[in-house]
Amino acid sequence: MGDVIDPLWLAGGALLPSRIQMAFTLATHVLLVPLGVAFPALTLLMEGIGLFRKDPVALKIARRWSVVMAVQFAVGAVTGTILSFEFGILWPRLMGRFGPALGLGFAIEGLAFFLEAIFIGIYLYGWRRLSPRAHFLLGLALPPVGVLGAASVLSANSFMNTPGGITLQAGRVVDVDPIAALFTPALGYEFWHFIVAIYMTAGFAVASVYAVAWLRGRRDHYQRLAFAVPFTIAAALTPVQLVIGDLSARALVQDQPAKFAAIEVTWTTRDHNPEVIGGFIDSAGQVHLGIAVPSLDSLLVGYSPNAVIHGLSSFAANARPSAVEASIAHLAFDAMVGLGSAGALLAAWYFLTLVRKRRLPESVWFYRLASLAGVGCYLAVEVGWVTTEVGRQPWIVYGLMRVSDAVTDAPAAYVWTMLATLVVIYALIAYFFVTLLTRLGSRWRDEDAPEEGAPYGPRPRRFEPDA
Amino acid sequence: MPELLAFVLLLAITAYSTAGGVDFGAGIWDLLAGTTRPGREARALIDHAMAPVWEVNNVWLVLAIVLCWTAFPPLFQATFADLYPLFTLALIGLVLRGAFFAFRHVADSPRAHRVADLVFGVSSVLTPFFFAASLGAIASGRVGHGVGQACLNPMALAFGLVSVAATAFSGASFLVGDARRYRAPEMVAYFRRRVIASGFGLIAIGTISLLVIGLEAPSLLRSMLLGAGLPFALVTVVLTPVVMWLAWRGLFRGNRVLTVAAVGSLVFAWAFAQSPYLLPGKLTIEQAIAPPGTRAVLLAVTVVLVLVVVPAMGLLYYLDQRNTLESP
Repeated sequence: MGDVIDPLWLAGGALLPSRIQMAFTLATHVLLVPLGVAFPALTLLMEGIGLFRKDPVALKIARRWSVVMAVQFAVGAVTGTILSFEFGILWPRLMGRFGPALGLGFAIEGLAFFLEAIFIGIYLYGWRRLSPRAHFLLGLALPPVGVLGAASVLSANSFMNTPGGITLQAGRVVDVDPIAALFTPALGYEFWHFIVAIYMTAGFAVASVYAVAWLRGRRDHYQRLAFAVPFTIAAALTPVQLVIGDLSARALVQDQPAKFAAIEVTWTTRDHNPEVIGGFIDSAGQVHLGIAVPSLDSLLVGYSPNAVIHGLSSFAANARPSAVEASIAHLAFDAMVGLGSAGALLAAWYFLTLVRKRRLPESVWFYRLASLAGVGCYLAVEVGWVTTEVGRQPWIVYGLMRVSDAVTDAPAAYVWTMLATLVVIYALIAYFFVTLLTRLGSRWRDEDAPEEGAPYGPRPRRFEPDA
Repeated sequence: MPELLAFVLLLAITAYSTAGGVDFGAGIWDLLAGTTRPGREARALIDHAMAPVWEVNNVWLVLAIVLCWTAFPPLFQATFADLYPLFTLALIGLVLRGAFFAFRHVADSPRAHRVADLVFGVSSVLTPFFFAASLGAIASGRVGHGVGQACLNPMALAFGLVSVAATAFSGASFLVGDARRYRAPEMVAYFRRRVIASGFGLIAIGTISLLVIGLEAPSLLRSMLLGAGLPFALVTVVLTPVVMWLAWRGLFRGNRVLTVAAVGSLVFAWAFAQSPYLLPGKLTIEQAIAPPGTRAVLLAVTVVLVLVVVPAMGLLYYLDQRNTLESP
């Protein structure tokens, strides 16, 4: 093939399509995670309200939510299975070398996933076949199991960011201290930041459905309850998240300085470092288009303008994010902070109205914003994830293995084809998923429509061959 | 302890082959049901019987893969490096199957419904075929010889075909039980005939596969027939006709357990014959096992799995069965 020059998209081998495929499938999966992990807790809370206050409307909401929960879990199970295979298909060397440590989190996740699948089944089947009390109590297994699953995946991700607990000999893992490998430094902040994020997202996303209902003129007990419960939880978590987010960013200064430099587009190590909002950095270290607030970054990090911040140029060129990657991480971070701040303002509006007027807001603009809060949160989760993953480049395991060293030997054309196939399949799944949800939604607008008959839900009691 | 973890991995693979296999088998019969009245009825029964538990079955697969990369990283790396085309195809089949199974509950037009049925059915054949083909490729000893040699070999084909026959067989056998629970005598007869037909298919394909193994990997065949694989090979050889005979006589007590034992033993016969090698002639359990710290965690996970998951799963199945036994 000597003289034939490969077209650009085949030039770098399988690396580019593999990265795009991983980003695409992860970005999709991460959309399913908030409802997958946090929706059961909201549903149980609603069921609890229904049981405690003997409110049949709350119970009906909980039953309907549980149907959505199951469909969403099934889709998440599929996209999650794809991800686990991609570790082998796209990055065989990653697990080949770090499997004994990186795999630990996933092994625990496997267990949690198993329990989740079973208890979601029990929860769905139990509505009619268990006493209300037993049903509720068995359902209580779901939130901790979901959190365990999320925590173990975050543990694996933390290992990639701040690896620890392993002894290497000639590049091979010869000894593993499982506790140290599971609880690496990044886990502390990644865990709280993400768990709060997904509870916020689930709350705002569910509430936004009923904010739309309010805008369409629905003002009954059903709408109020289904809006207020998830919205209150999400709104209460918003200020907490600002604090946790701040602590997380601050921890990066110590744990992942190159990532922090990328997020702040800091090129040279210096004090009085400005906080740049927006803009991008070029490969010469020049920042364009951003608004720089003098010394603010140093102030935020060290509470003093004299605090020294490491710049990208203090890392070897092959050990730090490229200019493009740094710019992406920076913009993603800014978008996340912006969205989080907007959410905090909305939450403040909500609580002020609640406290001063002792009722839910009645402003059209409040509900317009609330109906966008769900989408905003999903966006924030996506860009937050982009920040941490792109900011770690070029490493797949920080300081120990580069992404380019982990990638498969498969031909680039193969991975491109697989990527294209997956895009088509995901589009189909998304179409089915949305169709199903809108269909359930329109069926339920009719007051007494049953919850049965959705895929993955309880079946109608009788088998009727010609149904 | 390395052997214990290898055994747990084998259990996960076997659980997926049997529990998941029943679902794939149901999909195969769905594909073959056609548009006649009994065919439509069979399809409705399959739909009804499958709905609740399929994603629980899927979990076995995830568990097997996670266990593989954590406990036996070199096995994982070598296998995926050479067999990624087989895994990609199996994966795509798996996803299409799940998606279109859901879709047929939503499809409006008869045409969309037919397309959904078709995709669901075809992917129910392809998924077990490619998963089993990858096991066949491992058994052939050609993992490590490059993608072409590893994927395109008679053993992969043989294992793939055996698994399609075995899933059809176990699918039919379980559907007989479902038809009885739903008190649909016509369907009981319908699937009884299919147990017997697919049983003959399994025996025929199984015999041919033994010949293929004999030609391609004689040492594996030796230990299947004379070594550690023998007891399990015997169980399969005896139980398959027993299940067929019971179906023929209309006796149903224990047919599910016997079916699972027959198909599960098939997987065990291969795995025990191949042990202590994970990759025949190249990589043993001892060579591939992760460091002790990792093993300890995996063992703990296994213990919790047995202590918590098994009773929880029992409860789920109990609730599912109770539902269908209830009078309306």
